[in-house]
Amino acid sequence: MATDVAVTDQGHGHELDPNLNYLQAGRGVLSWLVTLDHKRIGVMYLISVLTAFFMGGVFALLVRLELLFQGRTIMGPETYNRAFTLHGAIMVFLFIIPSVPAALGNFVLPMMLGAKDVAFPRLNLLSFYIYVVGAIFALYSIISGGVDTGWTFYTPYSTGTNGSVVSMTLGVFILGFSSILTGLNFLVTMHKLRAPGLHWRRMPLFLWGMYATSIMQVLATPVLAITLLLLAVERTFGLGIFDPALGGDPVLFQHFFWFYSHPAVYIMIVPGMAIVSELFATFTRRAIFGYFAVAMSSLGLALLGFIVWGHHMFTSGQSEFATMAFSALTMLVAIPSGVKVFNWTATLYKGSIWLTTPMLYALAFLVQFTIGGLTGLFCGTLSVDIHLHDTYFIVAHFHYVMMGGTVFGFLGGLLYWWPKITGKLYDERLAKVSWFFVFVGFNATFLVQFIMGSQGMPRRYFDYLPEFGRYHAFSTVGSWILGLGFLIMAWVLVKSLRSGPPSPPNPWGSAGYEWQSASPPIVLNFPEVPTITRGPYDYHLATEEELFDGFPEDRAKK
Amino acid sequence: MSAGHGAEAGHGHGEHPPYLAHHFDTPEQQFDTAKLGMWVFICTEILMFGGLFVAYGIFRSLEPDVFTMAHHHLDRIMGAVNTVVLLFSSLTAALAVREAQLGNQKKTSLYLVITIACAAIFLVVKYFEYTHKFHDGLLPGRCFGHPWFAGSPDGHGGFSGSSTPWYMHILQGDGCFDRTMARPLQVLDLPARGNMFFGLYFMMTGLHGVHVVVGMAILTWVLWRNQKGHFSPEYFTAVEIGALYWHLVDLVWIYLFPLLYLVG
Amino acid sequence: MSDAHAHAHADDGKVHAHITAAWFLCAIFSALIVLTVLTVAVSYVDLGSANTVVAIAVATVKASLVATFFMHLRHDKPFHALVFVMSFVFLGIFLTYTMNDLGTRGAVDRMNGGRHYLRHAERAPGGMRDEDYVPPATPLPSHGEHGGGHQAPAAEHH
Repeated sequence: MATDVAVTDQGHGHELDPNLNYLQAGRGVLSWLVTLDHKRIGVMYLISVLTAFFMGGVFALLVRLELLFQGRTIMGPETYNRAFTLHGAIMVFLFIIPSVPAALGNFVLPMMLGAKDVAFPRLNLLSFYIYVVGAIFALYSIISGGVDTGWTFYTPYSTGTNGSVVSMTLGVFILGFSSILTGLNFLVTMHKLRAPGLHWRRMPLFLWGMYATSIMQVLATPVLAITLLLLAVERTFGLGIFDPALGGDPVLFQHFFWFYSHPAVYIMIVPGMAIVSELFATFTRRAIFGYFAVAMSSLGLALLGFIVWGHHMFTSGQSEFATMAFSALTMLVAIPSGVKVFNWTATLYKGSIWLTTPMLYALAFLVQFTIGGLTGLFCGTLSVDIHLHDTYFIVAHFHYVMMGGTVFGFLGGLLYWWPKITGKLYDERLAKVSWFFVFVGFNATFLVQFIMGSQGMPRRYFDYLPEFGRYHAFSTVGSWILGLGFLIMAWVLVKSLRSGPPSPPNPWGSAGYEWQSASPPIVLNFPEVPTITRGPYDYHLATEEELFDGFPEDRAKK
Repeated sequence: MSAGHGAEAGHGHGEHPPYLAHHFDTPEQQFDTAKLGMWVFICTEILMFGGLFVAYGIFRSLEPDVFTMAHHHLDRIMGAVNTVVLLFSSLTAALAVREAQLGNQKKTSLYLVITIACAAIFLVVKYFEYTHKFHDGLLPGRCFGHPWFAGSPDGHGGFSGSSTPWYMHILQGDGCFDRTMARPLQVLDLPARGNMFFGLYFMMTGLHGVHVVVGMAILTWVLWRNQKGHFSPEYFTAVEIGALYWHLVDLVWIYLFPLLYLVG
Repeated sequence: MSDAHAHAHADDGKVHAHITAAWFLCAIFSALIVLTVLTVAVSYVDLGSANTVVAIAVATVKASLVATFFMHLRHDKPFHALVFVMSFVFLGIFLTYTMNDLGTRGAVDRMNGGRHYLRHAERAPGGMRDEDYVPPATPLPSHGEHGGGHQAPAAEHH
């Protein structure tokens, strides 16, 4: 049977013992750099995105520190513009977009499917290296003068300003291809590599979220590519498509940019939702209420993401008819978001809630995403947005969704799958402490920004009027609490890596498919291709062994 | 869907053919996976070119007269010749797939060589078209009608009116690439707004040209593998995928040709 | 294996792709050539805006032929055709909305959607109207010597 057949590791020819776990199979740095194993690629992505998260976080703290007092605190206005641009660009393109799909998704997705790997392992590795090249371009642009356009690169400012806009846009252009290839890979994997018995209605909700995300990555990111290419050509050769002096239209850039970037916002949040769906199921010990509705709401968000982009452009000089249509359509986004929030809440009702750290992150997600989502309706309302546009209200809104949502989901997922990825447990008590600081710090930082935004504090401003002073000071102190929370979190992970006790195959007692493997998983994920006979949340059908000990084969090997 | 035709068809039966990657159960699953992947990729390519088509649609609807005037400067006979060349190469690509399916290694190679040759012819024609546009100063954006380009060739790489070859201006980043400089010349019978048509012309055909070059590389790789005898009636995935990519290049041109050369 | 018409689908795990006859591929190619000649010929006749419609219609027929037969969609999984068509649906969304914006700017608010090059006094989609333009109090340095009409700066970011 499978267990006594040596597997040729495709691409570089040496034999691997399939019973080794993926960390032991192959030694040395090179075995990582040329690996085709989705788990190792996922881990390499994880290290990269956490590095990017650290960098983006440092820029965020610098921006907040500058705003602690009126006037110049630690940097001048030019540097401030570069700092918030780099914070935005790094967080969006280098951290959030690849965080859940490319890092955690790469690790978990084939395991949830009962597959041995993703559909195109070489493409998977290629997409990682494309990410690295894109990141190098982005780093180069930081070193060679920085970018001060904001992460949105709006023309005509971006075609005229000094700094390394071209290398940054080329970096993002390249990162886009990494994202496209990941999405393509996942889409095909979910269609073609599902284990026997794993039909669509048994797909874990994480995979439904990944499916919706992949659709958006595949359909929207190419438009970003062509947009940034046009911007780079415009800057280098004076193409003129976005330059009114040459007959072009700067607002057209915003159309092009947001046709990608609105779906991209959902590329960021839908994976977060996908993770918390898993967390709620595992830590309430029951099937997600309204499973099919939650699955379809992910697809609904993916489709709606393509028809609402104009709500970023209400004050841009876009036609009145377009603004009205976009405002009306934006309201539709509340439907799939509401479907999710209500179904998660219904799942909690009478569930056996286990308040682990991942579950705390999921609960925080539920609260913060609701705040972020509801304030999104304010911003989507045409008349209100005229007042709120480009104020701190918008900043607070999207941080509540992106950070309070996606980052909390990502951290929850990271801790949830940490024992599976590393084979080690982490210090649950210390992790709860870090959650507390992150939760309090996050809300302290951003809740006041709603208030100052609604009072008219514009975003991206270096300085402010005295009446905003206390809000800014409060927000900055909040950012320190947040930073402290992340430091403790980092310590939790390092401590677990160094001295964490070994994890059983299924430490959370989850009925999810990915937990039915060893921790850490063997090279081919499962000793033999699993046949799926129940849904991922069917706790009433899962056996005692599945919930607490992994497959009997795994136990025998111990 | 046809995911995983049962675990029993998987490993350990000594019938795992060498071309079958370890994470697939059957050659059929592998083939379908590759094809679906390619179709999704085609989808992304369509959206990427789509951005340029949207820009074309917008500027054409805003300035229909200028576009009509400008497109008369393109040579529709050259465009038509290139269309026929690409259509023919598409035919030979399809025939190459057919021969690979039948297991005729030599005929597959022959058709692949013809396809690659047609791609080269296409690029040569494109080169002459581009050179002509450069000589006439029919250039995108700020460069439109610039004297460095709008002169006649002086015989050694430069143009009358300048002793420096035009590409040196690009490398030095001066002249019309200086963003503060206004357009100095009115070109031929075209209003200054004609720059938008040629901006789109060069972006669209340029991006398409890049795809032609990439397509040539892919087909050459397929040809090399075919020469090595990698393909058989049971396994011809790379031929099929390479041909699909080449047909995509053809598809884009099928729209570029009338929009740019025929109706402007 | 050579005549794939016989194999609709077999569940033996082998590849059963349709093999198109060579004469049929050549026939499709001939049709494509005929259509190319047709579309070039029509372009010499001035039909007004119908020229564009004809050109796009002919191109669409040609593209369909290539996709259906050369790219084997006819005998392929219907899902592949769906993927292909969906890309055009999303492209259509992109085109429709963006054209709608550019086409209706200023329809309600005259100040919105003016179209004027400040530098060349020519129409531009994104610029301002002549009559709405108020010159700045202190004239900024102008760019270049040859711009006609208004000698005013193009954009605010110089």
